[in-house]
Amino acid sequence: MSEQDLRDTFGEFLVKIGHSNNNVVVLDSDLSSSTRTYKFAKEYPDRFFNMGIAEQNMLGTALGFAISGKVPVVSGFSIFTSGRAWEFIRLACHDNLNIKIITTHSGFVGGDGSTHNALEDLSLMCSLPNLKILNPSDNIELIKMLEYIFDAKGPFYIRLPRGSFPKIHNEDYKFLIGKPDVVKEGDDICLVGTGYGTILALDSAPYIEKKLGISIKVVNLSSVKPINISALIKEISNTKGVVALEEHNIYCGFGSILARIISEYFPMPMKFIGIEESFGQSGNREKLLNFYGLNKEKIMEKIKHLLISVRK
Amino acid sequence: MTLSEAEGKKILHDILGIKKDILKMIFQAQSGHPGGSLSCVTIIYLLYNNVMRINREDPQWTERDIFVLSKGHAAPALYAVLSKIGFIKRKDLFTLRQIGSDLQGHPVKNLKIGIEISTGSLGMGLSIGVGCALAAKLNNEERLIYVLLGDGELNEGSIWEAVMAGSHYKLDNLIAIVDRNGIQNDGSTEEIMALEPLAEKWKAFGWEVIETDGSNLKEILQGFERCKSIVGKPKVMISYLIKGADVSFMQHTQKYHGRAPNEEEFTLALKELEDIENDLKRGIPHNE
Repeated sequence: MSEQDLRDTFGEFLVKIGHSNNNVVVLDSDLSSSTRTYKFAKEYPDRFFNMGIAEQNMLGTALGFAISGKVPVVSGFSIFTSGRAWEFIRLACHDNLNIKIITTHSGFVGGDGSTHNALEDLSLMCSLPNLKILNPSDNIELIKMLEYIFDAKGPFYIRLPRGSFPKIHNEDYKFLIGKPDVVKEGDDICLVGTGYGTILALDSAPYIEKKLGISIKVVNLSSVKPINISALIKEISNTKGVVALEEHNIYCGFGSILARIISEYFPMPMKFIGIEESFGQSGNREKLLNFYGLNKEKIMEKIKHLLISVRK
Repeated sequence: MTLSEAEGKKILHDILGIKKDILKMIFQAQSGHPGGSLSCVTIIYLLYNNVMRINREDPQWTERDIFVLSKGHAAPALYAVLSKIGFIKRKDLFTLRQIGSDLQGHPVKNLKIGIEISTGSLGMGLSIGVGCALAAKLNNEERLIYVLLGDGELNEGSIWEAVMAGSHYKLDNLIAIVDRNGIQNDGSTEEIMALEPLAEKWKAFGWEVIETDGSNLKEILQGFERCKSIVGKPKVMISYLIKGADVSFMQHTQKYHGRAPNEEEFTLALKELEDIENDLKRGIPHNE
């Protein structure tokens, strides 16, 4: 499967949307080479604003652009943008402004290590009313997602990894916000992933099916907020238990949101795969994912426990 | 800008009326920020009445200048001025801070009544102004962006990020006003987190600094004229205003920064403002 860095897909899309929509302006916090917004900067220097290493002012400036009728795209590393400028993002959501926050370096960043990892950004963002939060699973989905958010009004947050995911969708894939996307059918256990969580689930399912002699369904839920509750329940209701997977901490992220919805509307046993009680460390991203339990063995172990609670 | 005696008198009269409304609103709500509302109301009134390009018939007129009240706790002053110029019905003023009211404790975006963006969490307004100013330049619009800052909120680091960006992008359509009343919630600005030498700080960041005596209408108006005329860089007016201005027991104290007057205080405050109004009618100047 051909892979493309999601950041490159983002950077190229910006150039395209910059051409078709004159109101799009792009702001970055001295990270344009890493986030790939430099592609837009090169093409449309008048509509690119390097705001320096100052995320608060970058977001505040974006608010000013938004109330002036522009469509500001704000970029930077996920944790700095969501964390340092959180209250400005809150204000964008408070006033329901048309602002697109698209960050890179979500999850494990690799060598830069724990200070730069974004394992908490979903927690920060998920508490904000009006904000729509998206976490794509491949670059096809990312493109569809980007097309969607520039057609839609209001605040959006998209988190992109530093790196590539394999393609799991066809070109004719339709992104429907909030809607679970079944990427593999199965009967016994439903793995619900977001971002890399989906890739991991899809990659692990055949192995676990073979080892445990069960059938696994894999659902991609790239829309962390909002979630179409009835569609989600429809997809999980024919299985016996759900495992949520995310490249994020398990405390207040994707899994927590699923747990709230599922426990309220269709209670069933659940397990959570994500980073536990850690900020991570430096290292090769794949090795880090494995080290912190985002691997086949860990999923299998969780499913075994899940099956025990199902039998009770 | 020249101001005839009659015009000056009319403005002072209007401001006194607005000050009475501010106190009534806060008294009725039994919460709010009288000190910082009374200090900056002169600036807000002059902006809307004399300085900014607005259309009194249409708060959403597309060519309007933009005003951002970064010190959102002075909302009563903004609301009362917006009422005076006709964007808010006067009777609505007295719904301040009540459930269901458009007039929240701090301003909430509502273009129908002339509020461009929500503010109140301090330190955010100047960045918003930077964005508006950049957008106006990008659109080749003539409009000017005015941001009223409290001096206390200059403690926030985000303000200085915006100050840097303003001069970096040479935003000569951006005019900041600092309500330099010298008092923040817990005490004097110099005790809490010293700001001085404040003018030099702004200058060092590349801004044109204009200092005005906040009790001198002509000086403020001339200051704004200068702000409009200087090109190539952003401008800040540091206006030396008085916390709780014109109510003797609210002046120069943090006591009424965020506290409503009780009935006795309210009655006394109104009487003091009425006394000044009467003096004004008889031609007795309040300020030298």
